[in-house]
Amino acid sequence: MPPVVEAIDLHRTYRTTTGTFRRRSLEVEAVRGVSFEIAEGELFGLLGPNGAGKTTTIKMLITLLIPTSGQARVLGRDVVEDAHWVRERIGYVFGGDRGLYERLSALDNLRYFAELYGVEPRSQRARIGELLELVGLEGREKERVEGYSRGMRQRLHIARGLLHDPPVLFLDEPTIGVDPVGARELRATIAGLKAAGKTVLLTTHYMFEADALCDRIGVVAKGRIVAEGTPRELKERVAEGVVVEIEVYGIEDDRVEALRRIDGVTSVAVEDRDQAQVVVVQAEPGREPTHDVLARLDGVSLGRVTTREPTLEDAYVALVTEEREQVSD
Amino acid sequence: MTSLRIFAIGGLMSFRALFGFMSPWIYIPTLVVTPLFQILLFVFIGRSAGVESDTFYVVGNAIQYSSVPCLFAMTFTIAGERFNQTLGPVLVSPAGRLPLFLGRSLPVIVNGAFVGALSFTLGSLVLGVTVPASAVAPLALVIVLASASCTGLGLVLAGIGLRVREQAVMLNIVFGLLLIFTGANVPIEQLPEWMEAISRLLPFTHAIEAGREVVAGSGLGDVSGLLLRELAIGVVYAVLGYRFLRFMERQGRIHATLERA
Repeated sequence: MPPVVEAIDLHRTYRTTTGTFRRRSLEVEAVRGVSFEIAEGELFGLLGPNGAGKTTTIKMLITLLIPTSGQARVLGRDVVEDAHWVRERIGYVFGGDRGLYERLSALDNLRYFAELYGVEPRSQRARIGELLELVGLEGREKERVEGYSRGMRQRLHIARGLLHDPPVLFLDEPTIGVDPVGARELRATIAGLKAAGKTVLLTTHYMFEADALCDRIGVVAKGRIVAEGTPRELKERVAEGVVVEIEVYGIEDDRVEALRRIDGVTSVAVEDRDQAQVVVVQAEPGREPTHDVLARLDGVSLGRVTTREPTLEDAYVALVTEEREQVSD
Repeated sequence: MTSLRIFAIGGLMSFRALFGFMSPWIYIPTLVVTPLFQILLFVFIGRSAGVESDTFYVVGNAIQYSSVPCLFAMTFTIAGERFNQTLGPVLVSPAGRLPLFLGRSLPVIVNGAFVGALSFTLGSLVLGVTVPASAVAPLALVIVLASASCTGLGLVLAGIGLRVREQAVMLNIVFGLLLIFTGANVPIEQLPEWMEAISRLLPFTHAIEAGREVVAGSGLGDVSGLLLRELAIGVVYAVLGYRFLRFMERQGRIHATLERA
């Protein structure tokens, strides 16, 4: 069976200019050869840090951006040549606050897009009612969107993307900024879409979300897919290593660099947690880096030190860090 | 049927959604009081200089001021999508672009004609300008045509607005151009030749001339040539505007300028 979504060596370059009188042009390669396939009924996740090229890739697939080079197909049709045909068969869900008409009610937002998607006037009311119920906005639909919380807006985005019952859905960070309860409800809705047979491309920052929802994941870093596989396969890539987490209170960049130079260390990441930072050090299988790490942190105010097995998040951090190091080399 | 619904219902909804002047607290000062100020200013300048009649300025400025709702609303209801970050969802829909863009012009034309007619009525009442009853309907037609042709120019500006950030600056400059070039306050025959040539290509010039003749007692048949030229100019701008919008949409997909960063 042919894939429903295909990205073939997609590239996308942006040109930005700076200066008022002496204009200088700068080219940024946001996507540098992304290729993947999504089968019918599959939920494929694109996972990556900010600026990795996830949204740009989605924008090319939904016909909003023309690739600089490469090709993309949805349901076998080229997204540039057959843009209109593709648009009729895809749904797109934004992440974040914007993208809705603030002065209109949720109902009017949905009515407007129902018109744009050619939903039959006779079935519009019933369809909108179903979707409001699906996303849990029934009873609030006559309120202006400007008074909606982020979670409500996000749910409205999903309802809008489903108005014409498309077989293929592109969800761009749909749970970003949503509170934990709301995010859990949204994930349940997304799981329901997959259960209903939709083919879904989901981008997210959240590892547990990708782990829970996706059949397969592509990890994107610096505009490239650096790893692809099922969540289990990705975890197995680092499953035999070890992760040391050290709570520190203020750490300089040169100390972090020194940790990266330890023999057998594959990645080092620093996460802010309240007043402290947590240094996450991953090492190759068979290595025990705790002693060397603590030696290089001599003089730094330390908190708790723990050693654990790697998670999908560690696999992701390792992949992204590896790519960053290769690019900077 | 779908295209017709996008044209009519979609056009009205997007006007409601994007044109920020819907609140009476903005609408009345901007589109009722300010045109009256403009009319009074030029009438009193005209009186002190002893050049033209009150009617000349009331007709000219009432029609010219309808450019504010026509240009600003037309630009905001299309290019405003970019700043509202709704342009992406709209353009990835399969909606036909002709009803999508042109449908938005219909409420703009109605609003522009209302502002023009109200400005004329209020200006006439305050200044004691009388209009023969037989001139009311022809004058209304002139105002509607003027509003439609200016909305055509608004479509062109909406296309530019899909690329430039400073839409309000651009619109204020065009408003100033129409104030000078369309004969609203200075008969175009008295303008330098090159300015007069430009005047003949702008919306309003022929409508203002027709409006003054109608108020002076001419029938519709007498001004039909002027009205046809006004209509033709509006159609040319509308066609250019639509083609330009399609071009800018394509350029936006190539250069990633459809969405504000």
